[in-house]
Amino acid sequence: MMNYQIRLIFRNFRKNSSSFFINLIGLATGFACAILIFLWVADEMSVDKFHKTDKQLYQVLENQAMSQGILTQEYTPDLLARTLAAEFPEIKYAVAVSPARMFGNFTVSTDDNNLVKTAGQFAEPNFFKAFSYDLLQGNPEQVLSDNNAVVISRKLALSLFKTTENVIGKTFQWQIFSVKKNAVVSGIFEGTPANSTAQFDFVLSYSAWINLSEALGRNIHWGNHAPQTFLVLNEGVDVKKLNSEISDFIKTKQTGSNVSLFAVPYSHQYLHGNYSNGVESGGRIEYVRLFSLIAIFILLIAGINFINLATAKASKRFREIGVRKVVGSGRKALIVQFTGEAIILTFMAMVISILMVWFFMPQFNLITGKQLHLVLNAGFLLPIVGICLITGLLTGLYPALYLSGFNPLSILKGRPSRSSGEIWARKGLVVFQFGISVVLIASMIVVYRQVQFIHNKNLGYQKDHIIYFAKEGNIVPKLPTFMAEAKKIPGVANVSDISSSLVGNPSSTYGMNWEGKDPQANINFEVMRADVNLIETLNIELADGRSFSDKFSDENSKLIVNQAAIDVMGLKNPIGQIVSYNGQQKQIVGVVKNFHFQSLRQKVNPLTIIYDPNKTMTMMVKLKAGQEKQTIAELKSLYARFNPGFPFDYQFLDVAYQKLYEAEERVSALSKYFAGIGILISCLGLFGLAAYASEQRLKEIGIRKVNGAQITEVMVLLNSDFIKWVALSFAIATPIAWYIMNRWLESFAYRTTLSWWIFALSGVLALGIALLTVSWQSWKAATRNPVDALRNE
Amino acid sequence: MIHLNNIDKYYDSKFQRTFVLKAVNLEIKDGEFVSIMGPSGSGKSTLLNIIGLLDTPSAGEYSLYDKSVLDLKEKAKVDYHRNFMGFIFQAYHLIEEMTVYENIETPLIYKGVKSKDRQAMVADLLDRFNMVAKKDLFPQQLSGGQQQLVGIARAIIGKPKLLLADEPTGNLQSVQGEMIMETLKALNDEGMTIIQVTHNEKFAGYGKRIIRLEDGIVRKDVKNV
Repeated sequence: MMNYQIRLIFRNFRKNSSSFFINLIGLATGFACAILIFLWVADEMSVDKFHKTDKQLYQVLENQAMSQGILTQEYTPDLLARTLAAEFPEIKYAVAVSPARMFGNFTVSTDDNNLVKTAGQFAEPNFFKAFSYDLLQGNPEQVLSDNNAVVISRKLALSLFKTTENVIGKTFQWQIFSVKKNAVVSGIFEGTPANSTAQFDFVLSYSAWINLSEALGRNIHWGNHAPQTFLVLNEGVDVKKLNSEISDFIKTKQTGSNVSLFAVPYSHQYLHGNYSNGVESGGRIEYVRLFSLIAIFILLIAGINFINLATAKASKRFREIGVRKVVGSGRKALIVQFTGEAIILTFMAMVISILMVWFFMPQFNLITGKQLHLVLNAGFLLPIVGICLITGLLTGLYPALYLSGFNPLSILKGRPSRSSGEIWARKGLVVFQFGISVVLIASMIVVYRQVQFIHNKNLGYQKDHIIYFAKEGNIVPKLPTFMAEAKKIPGVANVSDISSSLVGNPSSTYGMNWEGKDPQANINFEVMRADVNLIETLNIELADGRSFSDKFSDENSKLIVNQAAIDVMGLKNPIGQIVSYNGQQKQIVGVVKNFHFQSLRQKVNPLTIIYDPNKTMTMMVKLKAGQEKQTIAELKSLYARFNPGFPFDYQFLDVAYQKLYEAEERVSALSKYFAGIGILISCLGLFGLAAYASEQRLKEIGIRKVNGAQITEVMVLLNSDFIKWVALSFAIATPIAWYIMNRWLESFAYRTTLSWWIFALSGVLALGIALLTVSWQSWKAATRNPVDALRNE
Repeated sequence: MIHLNNIDKYYDSKFQRTFVLKAVNLEIKDGEFVSIMGPSGSGKSTLLNIIGLLDTPSAGEYSLYDKSVLDLKEKAKVDYHRNFMGFIFQAYHLIEEMTVYENIETPLIYKGVKSKDRQAMVADLLDRFNMVAKKDLFPQQLSGGQQQLVGIARAIIGKPKLLLADEPTGNLQSVQGEMIMETLKALNDEGMTIIQVTHNEKFAGYGKRIIRLEDGIVRKDVKNV
């Protein structure tokens, strides 16, 4: 019986191969999307959850009260972790970590040989107890308790020592900025997993951080915020209560502080990392929710299309059903047959979708920046089989009940009539699907235009042909010589140095004061430390005054601000005015036009540029266009003369600039795929409906043709019915698309315009695609010989 | 076997009631071969469908072996279709996706006959109708007469007591039509009760009794000797 059923099912598939194929592809695409999104969501949810202490692991965040509102950030005073642990019994232990992202790459080596650039961080002794980075060698209780200790990853051990055997006790040399120190390897850990937010290759002891701070002239006190503070709480601690207790902790240590504290679960932060005015306001969880919703929608639409096509094709099978009933088939047998068909089709679609996922995985990883794998284990396959069965049952049951419910006589005589509710449901589906398509197309265009806008925006400086690299090793003491030598290279247009890489400036101060400032106001100024020639190297335009220059001896007492700063300060004639920068009196010598050193999401903030070549960390070199390769090679050999053995690790400024917009680029790429998939699935739905409609009207078409209707007239008749509904969906979708895109664009301070033609174009595209899809069916119906249609009656 | 008492079938529209069958009384005994004749629209197919439990009368009584079969539940109807009656149609109504063999086999599957027994039963019938060589062909590959033979084979494989034929020769040429009628006659000779609807005077003559319908009323009911 089973065997017989299956054979029949396949014969049926072959007979209706076009509808079978459409159904299969539609479902498989839906499944493939859902699987990819499912894998992505599962990966997102797993980030930072692998720590065994996860339930007790908390991070302390700060709320700083500013004039502009409350700013939430994760950098805390160095003393916080140990003081909290000492004063609150709820805390099992605490760890201060100066995370890798505070530094550029370190240069590490074994005895001056084999220099490697890599990421590292500093942490207090409990680090490996609080976090579950697997220690291969060494005791988590004490690997970091020694002042000179360093724990390195297996990968780093292999590249430095070529082995992980007998590495404990060996010397490990590290340098950052101009500081060079030795440490002793005390342990080896497996490395950071891909689903860890923190990525680093070695961990130095916290005393090394204190030493580094001293060497860099950084003071450790309650007003200086740099490391992160992590807490492992005792089980059963009421975090709400603890938060109310630690809230004013810093204010008790430093009078006049505007900082309040609170602890959040560490693994909670990855998805819920955004704060607005001190209150949690989403984060990546929004993308997780959005994508989950999209996956459900895609599955839903694919499933409904499946049902639609199945019922649309039903009229072809009415006779079979009628005959079966007359020869004694019960309803149950018919339901089993049709549901069985649906389940088998669903499983075939699932197999195809897994192949699709496997095929598209590299591309998907590229777009999302993830390293997802398709692992066909029970944990993956069981839910998949479950989804198949459920989808098969749900999609098969409706047509089965629908088809088997008819009176056999009415089927054998002709076509049974349908209720108007059913017709409305079908039309509603067209409107719904094409509405989504229009939204997706419009979103795709808007996102693409915004990305283009970002690329082409005049930033107020020239980011092209500029490379930058760390000011490190011997370049630090011999900076003037290095700069002079570099300038001699024919392909170099200009050289300067700056505190950071310019893009996404990380340094700011509240310590700017000027005459007439409201003493209560806490106004944040971005700070850029620079050398001479910086403004020239970057081609930043001066609005007034001059830039820093060697010709003046006392540049340390001067500063340059941007126009946004002038606006905030409300100065009429800024040049020559004296302001106070962190207590030092400095004179404004120049005003630069606003330039975008931060993401275009933000308005240009007030900026002060101070002359301080001793605290710059990055070299910037402007190359002459056309001979970059040659020039970089020459710069590399110059660099090697100063820092023998150091890898020359440089970056292009325009590339770094683009990285600011990685998220937007991803959204742009993804939106293209989603628009494509949305349109594909909608078309399949429409295709099914058109097939259904022309099947329904077969007799009418036949009669019209017998009475002299031309093919074109029949096609207009069939098409106009659908176009009407697609047009309605356009009317509904346009305001929705406008609203969504307007909201998205509002997250950019600088943005492209939402022109009417974007929506018109989306509508025309959706309409064109719909017309093509429907016309195929209409053409088939219109060119059929009318006698065939009429003879069937 | 069949007892129809005062059967009416009508459709109501806004202002009038249209009768398809009116006050039909009919008694059919085991082993009869009845031909129902009449012009188009006289209600003969409706009558056949009511007898075949595919349609219900608007009024009147209908019993099979003294048991009323009006208001039967779906399940009971299916039981009658499986075990008591077989159908033959003008348009054969074979399932196009299935071979000759499978088409004939279908009712047995629904009846729950074991696979081995099915094989034997289908083989017997194929042999009887000289269709062994054609068992793996699909309906489209057969001539109309052959398709109708398959239709008959399917109708009788479950050994029904009653065979209902709705213009079984309507789509056939006369030679093939005669072959089908001969087959029906042979079945009747073996004791099967047959009711056929036909337009064809000659083929109606195969019946032992001829009923003439006109506008839903039985005009004539004669023995044919």
